[in-house]
Amino acid sequence: MFERLVGGPGGLVPNAVQQRLSAVALYAIGALVLLFVLTPIYLMVVVALQSPQTLFSGGELTLIPPTLTLNNFVTLVEQTSTVSYFLNSVIITVSSVFLSTTLAVVSGYSLTRFDISAKTLVARAVLFSYMVSPIVLAIPLYVIFFRLGLLNQYVSAILAVTAISAPFSIWLMWQYFQNIPIAYEESAWARGASRWRAVRDVVLPLARPGYISVAIFSFAVAWNDYTMVKVVLSDESLYPLTVGSELIFQEVFIGWGEQMALLFIISLPPFLVAAFLQNYLMQGFNLGHGE
Amino acid sequence: MRVANRFGLRDMGFDRDRLLVIVFLLPLIGFFAILWLVPMVYTVWSSFFSDPLVNPVFVGFDNYIAIIVDDQFLYFLWNSVLFAVSTTVLSLVVGLGFALVVNRAVFGGASLRTLMIFPYLLPTVVVVFLWRFLLDQNLGLVNRLLLEFGLIDRPIEFFGTVALAMPSIVTASVWKWGSFAFFIVLANLQAIPDEYYERAMVQGASQWQQFRDITFPHLRGAILLILLVRGIWMFNKFDVIWLTTRGGPASVTTTLPIRVYDYAIRLGEFGMGTALASIMFVLLAVGGVVYFVGLNPESGVTK
Repeated sequence: MFERLVGGPGGLVPNAVQQRLSAVALYAIGALVLLFVLTPIYLMVVVALQSPQTLFSGGELTLIPPTLTLNNFVTLVEQTSTVSYFLNSVIITVSSVFLSTTLAVVSGYSLTRFDISAKTLVARAVLFSYMVSPIVLAIPLYVIFFRLGLLNQYVSAILAVTAISAPFSIWLMWQYFQNIPIAYEESAWARGASRWRAVRDVVLPLARPGYISVAIFSFAVAWNDYTMVKVVLSDESLYPLTVGSELIFQEVFIGWGEQMALLFIISLPPFLVAAFLQNYLMQGFNLGHGE
Repeated sequence: MRVANRFGLRDMGFDRDRLLVIVFLLPLIGFFAILWLVPMVYTVWSSFFSDPLVNPVFVGFDNYIAIIVDDQFLYFLWNSVLFAVSTTVLSLVVGLGFALVVNRAVFGGASLRTLMIFPYLLPTVVVVFLWRFLLDQNLGLVNRLLLEFGLIDRPIEFFGTVALAMPSIVTASVWKWGSFAFFIVLANLQAIPDEYYERAMVQGASQWQQFRDITFPHLRGAILLILLVRGIWMFNKFDVIWLTTRGGPASVTTTLPIRVYDYAIRLGEFGMGTALASIMFVLLAVGGVVYFVGLNPESGVTK
C-alpha cells in the first residue's frame, strides 16, 4: 500500500511531489528545532542583561529589552562568591583536563604501539567504565577520600572528575594513534632518531588534533560536572560554579536577572569553545562517538 | 604487522622491552586500579554490611533483599526505564530530524551545526535552571503562551505536578542530549557518497525509496549506537533529575541513581546505598554485554 503510493516509476505520488513534500517537511522540522534550541538561550541572555525594573514592567516578562545593563553581573561579583567559585571551577577543570589528556596520550600511544595480548580486555574495560553511572562511582570515592582526609581539598574533586572523563579520553586518543601510520616513526628511527625523539618530534605533532579534541572533551566533562564534586567535596569554599550556583540561588536578593547572569557566566567558556574549536569537537564525535 | 618490531625494539633485549611496556602502561594501570577497581571492590564489600562506615556488621545479602522486597523498588526501576527510554527515543527523533535538515541545507548548514553545539556543551546546571525559568509558574514563558492561547485556565507548576514532572524533565533532557544524536547521525550522513543518490536517481528511484534503501541502511549502526549508549547514560543520570525535582513530587521522578544518593548520603544507610549501586552495576553489565556483542565497538582498536 505504502509502496504503491511512494514507490518509483508508476507510484501514485509522483517523485516531484515527494521531493517537494520532503523539502517542506525538512524545513518545518528545521524551524521547530531552531525555535526549541534558541528560545532558552535567547531568554537567558535577554534576562541577564536587563534590570529588574524593565524585566517585569507591565507584569509580564519583557522579551525585547529597551535598555541593557550589566547590573546583575555587578551584584553577583560584589555580593556573592561568584568570583571564587569561578576560580575553583578553573582550578579543578584545568588540572583535570591536564591529567586526563596526559593519561590519554601516554596510554593511547602505548596501547597502539606495543604488542599487548589483552587489548580486547583493555578496550572493554575502558568502554565499560565510561558507561558506569557517576553517582555509583562518587559514593565509594567519597568514603575513600573521607578516610584519607581529602574532603576539603581540591585534589579529591580533581581526581573524581578525572575518573569520569579519562575513559573517553583514552578511548579517543587510542583511536587517533591507530590512524597515525607507524611508517613516520620508522623513518625517523632509520635516520638515527631515538625513540623519545621520534615521539617528541614526529608522533606528538601528528597527534596534535587528537589531543586537542581530547582536551576539549575532558574540558566539557569537567566544566559540566555536578554529581562528582557535589558528593566528594564537603568544603563549600572549594565549590566550582556548578555546585556553588545552587547556594547562590538560595540567597534572598538573587532574582531571575542575577540567576540568568550567573548561568551566562557558567556558559561563557563553553560558548567560546563552540565558537573557536568546534572542528576538534566534530572530530571527536566522528572517532569516538562523543560523551 | 605485529608490534614487537613495529616499535623498533629489534635490537633490544627482551627484558628492556618488558620494562618499557610496563613503564608506559603504568599510568593506565594505576588510574584504573585506584579510581575504578578500588571503589568498585569497596562498593561490593560495603553492600554486605550494615553500617559499614562506623560499625560494620556482616549481614550477607540482607541489604539486597531489603531493597528488592521494598514495595517501591520496581516503581523506581520503572521510572528509570521510562526516563531512559523516553529521553533516548525523543533525542533520536529530534537529532535525526535536524541532521537530515542540516545535511540537505544549501546554505547555513555550518552555522546550524555550531548552534547545536551549545546545548551539548552547556552544563546540566545551566540547562536545568533555564528550563525551570521557562516552565516557572509565575513568570515562565510556557505558562504565559498557554494562557494566552486559552489552553489552560491558571498557570501550571510543571516540576511540582505529579503528571507533568517527568515529562518536564524529559523535555529539558532532550533539549540538552538531542544534540548528541544529531552529531552522530550527521557524521554518518555525510559519509554517504553522493554517487549513490545520483545513481539511484538515474535509475528512477523515488525520494522515499532513496531514503529507505540508501540513507536508512547507512544510519542503522548509528541509530543502534545512540539507542544503546545514550539509553545507558540516561538510565544512569543523576544531576538533571536531582537539580529539578530531587526525585519528587511523591517520588514520581525517583530513579535508581536518585535512590542510591538518598540511601547513601541523605539517609546515611551506606550499606543499602552500595547494595543498590551494585545492583545497578549488574544491570549495566547486561547493557555492556549487549553493546560489546551487538556493536563490537572495540574492533576499531584491536584489529
